[in-house]
Amino acid sequence: MKMITFILSIDIQGLMIILFSAILVDNFVLSKFLGICPFLGVSKNLKTAMGMSAAVIAIMLLASAITWPIQNFLLNPMGIGFLQTLVFILVIASLVQMVETIMKKTLPPLYKALGIYLPLITTNCAVLGVTILNITKDFSFGKAMTNSLGAGLGFALALFLFSGVRMRIEKADVPKALRGLPITLIAASLVSVSFFAFKGLIENIFG
Amino acid sequence: MYDVPFRLFAIENIIIPALIMLGAALLLGFLIVIVSNLFKVPGNEKKDALMDALPGANCGGCGFPGCEGYADYLLTPGADTSLCSVGGAECAREIAAILGTEAVEPEKKIVVLRCQGTSEHTSPRYEYLGTQSCHAAHNLLGGPGSCTYGCLGFGDCVAVCAFDALKIKDGIVHVNREKCTACGQCVKACPKGLLKLLPAAATVAVRCSNEWPGAQTRKFCNIGCIGCRRCVKECPVEAISMKGSLAVIDQAKCIHCDACVAVCPTKAIARFS
Repeated sequence: MKMITFILSIDIQGLMIILFSAILVDNFVLSKFLGICPFLGVSKNLKTAMGMSAAVIAIMLLASAITWPIQNFLLNPMGIGFLQTLVFILVIASLVQMVETIMKKTLPPLYKALGIYLPLITTNCAVLGVTILNITKDFSFGKAMTNSLGAGLGFALALFLFSGVRMRIEKADVPKALRGLPITLIAASLVSVSFFAFKGLIENIFG
Repeated sequence: MYDVPFRLFAIENIIIPALIMLGAALLLGFLIVIVSNLFKVPGNEKKDALMDALPGANCGGCGFPGCEGYADYLLTPGADTSLCSVGGAECAREIAAILGTEAVEPEKKIVVLRCQGTSEHTSPRYEYLGTQSCHAAHNLLGGPGSCTYGCLGFGDCVAVCAFDALKIKDGIVHVNREKCTACGQCVKACPKGLLKLLPAAATVAVRCSNEWPGAQTRKFCNIGCIGCRRCVKECPVEAISMKGSLAVIDQAKCIHCDACVAVCPTKAIARFS
């Protein structure tokens, strides 16, 4: 790790820590509880879960790539850094709208596969959360992009795991009072607790 | 707050950010409009007309994902206009008129349950206390019926029928011929494959799916096919063949003479209403 860092003069260790903590320890859905709405809505079967995750990863990367420069080169120098939330929401929503329009024209097969999920992600708090967290944690551009990638992959992991759990719940004999949303939320909280197991992982592997 | 007069404070902290937000919103709005005009996908009036003509039930019976999927397929040259059994002949004609092709009448079909094992003909072999679903029960050694080919009556097919044409009565499924549109969803839903699509002209079918030899069948159900082959011999057009110990009627050859119905000792071959 130190050798690679030395050769490439990029802080690989730092990036790895950020990446894996975003995926496992500080999973956006299961630890930070952001983006629950699409998490519950789209995790019913594996195919839609995969489509949604792909769309979320792409949008998170794109949104970070655009909002980080806006904050650091536009808002902060002009002293209006406090407009962050409003500007980010505007920018992300417009960005997703434009991506959808462009994709519909230039890549119809991709639009057929992922396009329907894009409106769901437009003001997803997980996407907004990543962009704001990049600023709050004062990341460099590279670290911000790695954080977003990790957040997207963590979202995908959570969706993937949970869709499996949900398919099993479909066939199970659930007490009448808990059928539908209640048992889903309980299952989600149990999956979330299981991710506590990763707490000491990062320091001990990369530390 | 700061040691400045309120006017300056207001301009610096309220008006200017408000103007900046306004400017940003307008700029992004322009961008979106420009992008959506540059990347416009020409709207398809034919597709809109097709979507209007199709029934919109999104049942998937045509084999495409919903009515939009079928509309997309119809826009390709040489498409089969008769796949929508829900819309029927009228819909096929409308589609053909929109596309400018000749109308092909969809073959009218009906659904038949190949089992007559109600509670008076057969009995369960164990008490089933699990999830009340055909798929779940079928996973447990083929289900609680003593004939493992028979209808379990938990209604997985009833649940998928978008037209309310199926009903459970006496432990097996009853098909309402008027409401049934032969979309085929129930056929896919049955874990034992008991529901079958037959041409609408059919009047007689083997109402049994049991492939066991006669002695074993008779032990568990008194209306099942015992494979005695009397129907095979009796049929004037040789439309009946044997699949193991189960008789199968070739509906294309059947002339509806009901000779097989008369000779069947267990009444497994029957007319269906």
